[in-house]
Amino acid sequence: MKTFIIHSLIAFIGSYLYFKYGEPLLPYNAVWAVFVSTFIMFVLWLTSASYHRAYFHKLPKAISFIVFFLKELVIANLRVAYDILTPAYRMKPTVVAVPLSVTTDLEITLLANIITLTPGSLMIDISADRKFLYMHTLYVKDDDVEQVKYNVKHGFERRLMQLTR
Amino acid sequence: MSIFSFTLIFAMAALSLCLVMTGIRFAIGPTLPDRITAFDLFVANVIGIVAIYTELTGNQDFIDVAIILSLFGFLGSISFAYYLMKSAR
Amino acid sequence: MFEDINFLLIREIISSVFIIIGVMFMLISTIGLLRFPDFYIRMSAITKGATLGLGFILSGMGIYFNEPDMFLKVMLIIGFTFLTSPVAAHVIGRTAVRNKIPFWDHTNLDEFKDYLHKEHSAHRDHERDNTQV
Repeated sequence: MKTFIIHSLIAFIGSYLYFKYGEPLLPYNAVWAVFVSTFIMFVLWLTSASYHRAYFHKLPKAISFIVFFLKELVIANLRVAYDILTPAYRMKPTVVAVPLSVTTDLEITLLANIITLTPGSLMIDISADRKFLYMHTLYVKDDDVEQVKYNVKHGFERRLMQLTR
Repeated sequence: MSIFSFTLIFAMAALSLCLVMTGIRFAIGPTLPDRITAFDLFVANVIGIVAIYTELTGNQDFIDVAIILSLFGFLGSISFAYYLMKSAR
Repeated sequence: MFEDINFLLIREIISSVFIIIGVMFMLISTIGLLRFPDFYIRMSAITKGATLGLGFILSGMGIYFNEPDMFLKVMLIIGFTFLTSPVAAHVIGRTAVRNKIPFWDHTNLDEFKDYLHKEHSAHRDHERDNTQV
């Protein structure tokens, strides 16, 4: 996880310096910038195979996590937008206590931030013994609270644990 | 007038409408946390207006205003919430 | 082949599409702020819509200016907004629960009753201690 953040920072700054001070062979625009930073990231990833074996396997999972998160973000935003623009409310607000499997501070902070960023759900608090996370959610199908917990645990938490452990 | 500047002026008008509606919520909001939320949305709207104004004039220095504003908006809403939590005790 | 294309026109069109999408998200979240019945629903619905709309507007601007400095500043603002907006939402929501802001009538509070009871009785004990001293 730490290696991933350092490597993406190196890729970003490297592509910035290449386009600003180097004598670029390519004309600058957003597509080429993304391409160059992806290339630097790929080279760093290949060199890491010799010294950090676990990180070599984790980068594809990180990419799939980011894609999954962006998909959830857009879908939830459109659902809330539909509810705002039509006259009748379709929502059933519920406060759910989600049991936690992650333990460290970093994992809990990341999970809470990701859940708060998806529209229609808001973290309110964590219980005193760090076992439950109280989450205010808008859309519960057929009053099935267990389904919401299952979605959170198998959507976000499982993927996050694959990354940080 | 080209289509591009028409789009920018339309976006500016829509964001001004957003500011007015947020102001209504700021005035009638029944409780203090409602007003803090409205203040948060104020800051986001003003950042958007600064971005569109930068694009309309073509002067790149204005974008620094948006950076400073995004820092100070976060500090403002956090300190309001902290003050509210302290005064409830 | 590439000399025939007007790149400025392409950049303007892409930037216009991004800005229109962003402004639509901002407008929808502001209408939601006016319409929704309860503080928590407003909170969870609007903050994220505004963040996503801001991200679209800023990336449209970065595509239009087409320079490394501009792209760096735009990425700085987007990253900072995406980091801080959930933290602010979380802090304001917890403050509202502690201040006993009421929930909407149709809210299902079954799993939250223990927490609310503990939190509010702790407040009462605290106040009683203060008055005794």
